[in-house]
Amino acid sequence: MSTASAGMTVRRSKAAGGIRASAARLFAWWWDLLLAFSLLGLLRFVAPLPFLNEVIIFSIYTIGCNFLLGRVGFISFGQPAYLAVGAYATAFYLYYFGTNPYLGILIGLGAGMAVTLLVGPLFVRLRSDYFALVNLALAVIIYYLMQKVLADITHGDNGLWFLTQISSTPVLDLSRPDQFFVFACIVGLAVWAFYKYLDDSIFGACCLAAKLNDDKLKFLGYSNYGIRLLAFVIANSTTALAGAMYAVYLGFVSPEITSPARAADPVVVTILGGAGTLYGPIVGSLAYTGMKDLISRVMVNWELVVGFLIVFIMLAGEQGIWGTLQPRLKKLFTRRRKSSGGGEQ
Amino acid sequence: MIDAHLLVSGVIFGLSIGSIYFLMTIGLSLCFGLMRIISLDQLLYYSLGAYLTYSISLATGSLWLGVLGGVVVAAVVSRAVERLIFQRIYQRELTFSMITSFGILIGGVGVIKYFWGLVPRPVAVPIAAQVDVLGTAVPAYRLVVIAIALAVYAGIWLFLHRTIIGKAIRAGIEDAEHVEGLGINVHRLFTLTFVIAGALSGLAGALHAPLIMVDPQMGLEVLAFAFMVVIIGGLGSIKGTLISSLIVGQVISLGSLIYAPLAQMAPFAVMLLILLVRPTGLYGSSLVKR
Repeated sequence: MSTASAGMTVRRSKAAGGIRASAARLFAWWWDLLLAFSLLGLLRFVAPLPFLNEVIIFSIYTIGCNFLLGRVGFISFGQPAYLAVGAYATAFYLYYFGTNPYLGILIGLGAGMAVTLLVGPLFVRLRSDYFALVNLALAVIIYYLMQKVLADITHGDNGLWFLTQISSTPVLDLSRPDQFFVFACIVGLAVWAFYKYLDDSIFGACCLAAKLNDDKLKFLGYSNYGIRLLAFVIANSTTALAGAMYAVYLGFVSPEITSPARAADPVVVTILGGAGTLYGPIVGSLAYTGMKDLISRVMVNWELVVGFLIVFIMLAGEQGIWGTLQPRLKKLFTRRRKSSGGGEQ
Repeated sequence: MIDAHLLVSGVIFGLSIGSIYFLMTIGLSLCFGLMRIISLDQLLYYSLGAYLTYSISLATGSLWLGVLGGVVVAAVVSRAVERLIFQRIYQRELTFSMITSFGILIGGVGVIKYFWGLVPRPVAVPIAAQVDVLGTAVPAYRLVVIAIALAVYAGIWLFLHRTIIGKAIRAGIEDAEHVEGLGINVHRLFTLTFVIAGALSGLAGALHAPLIMVDPQMGLEVLAFAFMVVIIGGLGSIKGTLISSLIVGQVISLGSLIYAPLAQMAPFAVMLLILLVRPTGLYGSSLVKR
């Protein structure tokens, strides 16, 4: 959708001056991002606020996994590990040291980056099947670490409660859900712009090449290891950011966040939305969170439905919701634009 | 220093835990070796085996009848799952089978919750007798579990090395296309291997049931340990699985003697260390894809 419209606008504005051309190019690059997030913002008027906050944070959580699976070809069953690192770093800060939620989120992001830099060099050497399993093992280690070994600091299964300790900040007060929503939208927009930029960059192309053909990438003179490490660090730092946002939003962190039973959540949402697509994580989280909400309202036994749904999605096709929708929307848009002489925008 | 009696019972405890992990993960390992799938649903057959043991032993009063029922039902269910789901995804990528089988596992947990409810249930230990080992009293049931696991290992070894079908399976692990080229129906081998794997997982659950409480999440709880055993041993190797499950069993039981939380943590540290030295596990093959 974006490339077609970019081509259109660029072609039309070539005749006009340079400033207008660059503005149009800028708009062509940004418009689908802005559209996606303003649609999410509009949902505010129909859907309950906690649900939307959950969806946005979950999308940020998933995009790291989506990038790893769709662009680099790594499947990770251990995303909760990095989520927990971000969440607990933020929680420690807010519970023991300070009150500023913005600083807390930055600390969570930094901690995530530090941990990924620590384990990354070891993990990215592994074959993809071992990679998936080792990440899960890390999630379990962190689970037991938080639940049992560090119970004096983390209060074990009871978790850390610090909602009342978050100070209200000027401009956007993160202790209020409605203002948190605005903040989450802004962060989401920034994250998506970053990943869109990555997709366009040479690094993004290298990642895709690493997924498709290792040897050729090496032959072209790139370092496989370096590219994978960078992708790993980027993706899992994003996951840690989501964890930090969870901590601030809920005002509460417990080991449940990294429990092995939830390890597949991001992978499932990635597949559900469409692996390797930019907007897959948003569509996937919207569908998954909504489904879980609806099902758990009707019956307690949500595993039954979700489990067989996963199987069904996998058998029906690996494109996911957005992956199937996107080409159709594209076709629809280009056809309409042709018939109306490019006046559509 | 650790007391000698404690040490003996710790080692026996570790051996019995290791035996159960071996029975549980040999299915994962065989499936990876032959079909190149990661079949997480083995842990569903493990839970099923445990739950049937609970129900049947409650109804008839005999645990061994329950174990038999668990194994049979696990085999039947795995046959059905293989027919309905896995036959469609053998050709796809490895990650594909991993996610699909995780879906089966989660859905299966839902089915178990539907039939048996959420409450953990105890299963009576069939042999209450204690046996004297090196001056320490050890529950006889744990020794029986170890003996059964050893018998299964011997049986699988004989099956793979002394029968035509077993030899075909071993050849398939090396190169399935060549086996197909020899006119052997590979898909029948796949089905057979999958059912054997499912039955052994069921056996593991059935034997484990009296040692723990059966609860719906039990499959998910051992998931990480199952992963760990196959990673340390190397995917696709039966000997590696045996050795690594024994190592993991000892690390868990002796680790918990030293410091209780080590029971969960130490095996993962061992795994990370082994992966540092050998990225494909102790006996893992270096071949990537078929």
